[in-house]
Amino acid sequence: MSNLKAFPTGGLYLLLFFLYLFGPLAVMIVTAFNSSSFPRISPWECLTSDWFFKLFEDETLIAGLGNSFVIGIGVVLVAVPVGLAAAIVLSQVGPHLRSVIYAVFIAPILMPGVVIGLSTLIFWDRLGTFFGADYDSFFYSGMFLTIAGQVTFISAYSMLVFLSRLQRFDPTLTEAALDMGASQTQAFVKVLLPFMTPAILSASVLAFLASMENYNTTVFTIVAESTFTTVLAQKVRYGLDPSISAVAVIIVGITLVGAIIFENYNRLRTQKEARAAAASSVPPVARFATNPLVIIGFVLVCMIGFVTWVGTHDSSVCEANVEQMKRAYQQEQLEQQRNRTPATASEPAEQASPPANTGGGVFSPGNLAPGQPEQEEAPASPFGNVFAPENLQGGD
Amino acid sequence: MREIGRFFSGFANRNGLPVAIYLLVAVSTWIFVLVILPQLTMFDFSFRHNLPPPKIGGPEDVHTLEQYRYFVMGNEITGGGVNTLDIAVLFKTLVAAVFVTIIDLAICYPVAYLLAQSSEGSAKRLLVLALIVPFWVNEILRAFAFRILFGATGVINGAGMQLGLWDAPIDFIGGNVALYAGLAYAYILLMIFPLYNAIESLDRNQIEAARDMGASWAQVHRRVVIPYAKPGIASGSTMVFMLTAGALAAPQILGGPSSLWFTQIIYQWFNSGGNWPRGSAYAVILLAICIMFVLLIMRVFKVSIGEIGR
Repeated sequence: MSNLKAFPTGGLYLLLFFLYLFGPLAVMIVTAFNSSSFPRISPWECLTSDWFFKLFEDETLIAGLGNSFVIGIGVVLVAVPVGLAAAIVLSQVGPHLRSVIYAVFIAPILMPGVVIGLSTLIFWDRLGTFFGADYDSFFYSGMFLTIAGQVTFISAYSMLVFLSRLQRFDPTLTEAALDMGASQTQAFVKVLLPFMTPAILSASVLAFLASMENYNTTVFTIVAESTFTTVLAQKVRYGLDPSISAVAVIIVGITLVGAIIFENYNRLRTQKEARAAAASSVPPVARFATNPLVIIGFVLVCMIGFVTWVGTHDSSVCEANVEQMKRAYQQEQLEQQRNRTPATASEPAEQASPPANTGGGVFSPGNLAPGQPEQEEAPASPFGNVFAPENLQGGD
Repeated sequence: MREIGRFFSGFANRNGLPVAIYLLVAVSTWIFVLVILPQLTMFDFSFRHNLPPPKIGGPEDVHTLEQYRYFVMGNEITGGGVNTLDIAVLFKTLVAAVFVTIIDLAICYPVAYLLAQSSEGSAKRLLVLALIVPFWVNEILRAFAFRILFGATGVINGAGMQLGLWDAPIDFIGGNVALYAGLAYAYILLMIFPLYNAIESLDRNQIEAARDMGASWAQVHRRVVIPYAKPGIASGSTMVFMLTAGALAAPQILGGPSSLWFTQIIYQWFNSGGNWPRGSAYAVILLAICIMFVLLIMRVFKVSIGEIGR
């Protein structure tokens, strides 16, 4: 990167930028291994892997993950074919019509997710009322509504993936197939689809990930059910807990693995293309050490090794020590207090407790909704209480 | 009518009947059933009274401006006047979204320029890949990370007090510092990629020519790079603004006790408020303002919508 060497300030800026990008994630990951019941780095108490086990015991999270998985598959199955169709239609219309249709197709991406979520909810609710459907029917099913809501904008994402691939498609291939006597359907299935396969794969991955991590739309459409993200949001709003950091460790790990696979795939492709070109003059050792794959792989092996090591590491002794120290500290404070004011000896125990909850008042989710408008008489909607707002608002 | 028929027959000839049916059914289902009809239903719903289910479709179910009147005038009980609370929240949300967009633009422009104008290589590809990794970490977790950083006993307060920069913990959450930092972080990628794509295609000879003619670096950026990257800037700004104004998770998790995001009010009307028509009216207001903003940006930067989202 000659340019970066020429401008050391530029290199420094990039370094700071990547620190901003990865610093918060790194801090969060470290907190997952601290035994302190509040996610933080200092004071460091004990190295522990308990938060991971606590995570696996969390049934709501596991159930939410299952739902997210089903929704993700459903979204991929609908959004990818729709996106493909949209891209093909767009490539066949004239330039003037094209810009209008493009604006319509791209609109769901630009629309706030909240608006998509609640319009989907209202639409199917009206439709259900119109047909006089039961509350058990799919009109009111959180899973169905969530798939419908997410497909609305994820189709547009996958359309963008297909459009960039279609730009490189040579239409004479289809013409050749037609000249050779193929029917149009055959040409579509045997020429266009194979050409689109890499884009179909990457659009599927993109759609699945986008579905997994969506919150704004899902929180409206999921109704009484829950997904991984909504459970996570509930947990975070209830109170901070290092087991959430443990989730982050797992997700960052999976993301890194995904990045390695992606990078590996790209390298193979470029290598194939570059094979005809002259061999590079870089010595093999240096090439190996600067290989991004090797670097990420190394990081990943370190991470996995660390987690395994922590898993075998027994933190109970250390935790008992910390507990004892805390108790001794409390006792000391208590005694000091008692010496000063013998009358009010019952309070100080609380004051001396660890500083973990000094921010408690600020964080309590009830505070987030101060100017909540007065309630109207009766909830007009059949979902009035299915949403169970107190689940989300609670925690005080 | 005949022209439409001719269009369809041409379309079917071109693709073959089965494929043409697939294309048209998929696209029209998407656009009509999933996008347009729900929006129209929401729009219609926002002009209705908040009625209990049995009365819906009955004689009382008529159109009304009540929900919009509430947004502007407030409750009848509070004696008319102006609904300063909700209007202030909307205004604050929009100002904050513009603020976050400007921060993101300021952070990302140098990064995009450095990455795009540096020479090819695996190191560069690794950097681009590194940009994507934080983006695939769940939105909730990213907000959570900022709670850990900015909390009263968080890393930043801890480090600041250790270094003796300040004595008592600073309330970053209450001051919304955490919220703005978290929002800027959450959508940074959507600013970088349009900028990067725009600047990458700029011929480096143009910059060198400007340098040779004696232009300073500031002039090079002002006269050469920024005009060239305008579609990227418009596209990135639009995306970041829309996502920030429509954000729900980050304000819920990182918002201070005294601040409210407009989406949170919509959320409240749908959940604890139990007034769907009013929530719909608020959503329509948000959508209308966002659309106006996009149109304004496109007018200011003189770009067409076709260049957004690339």
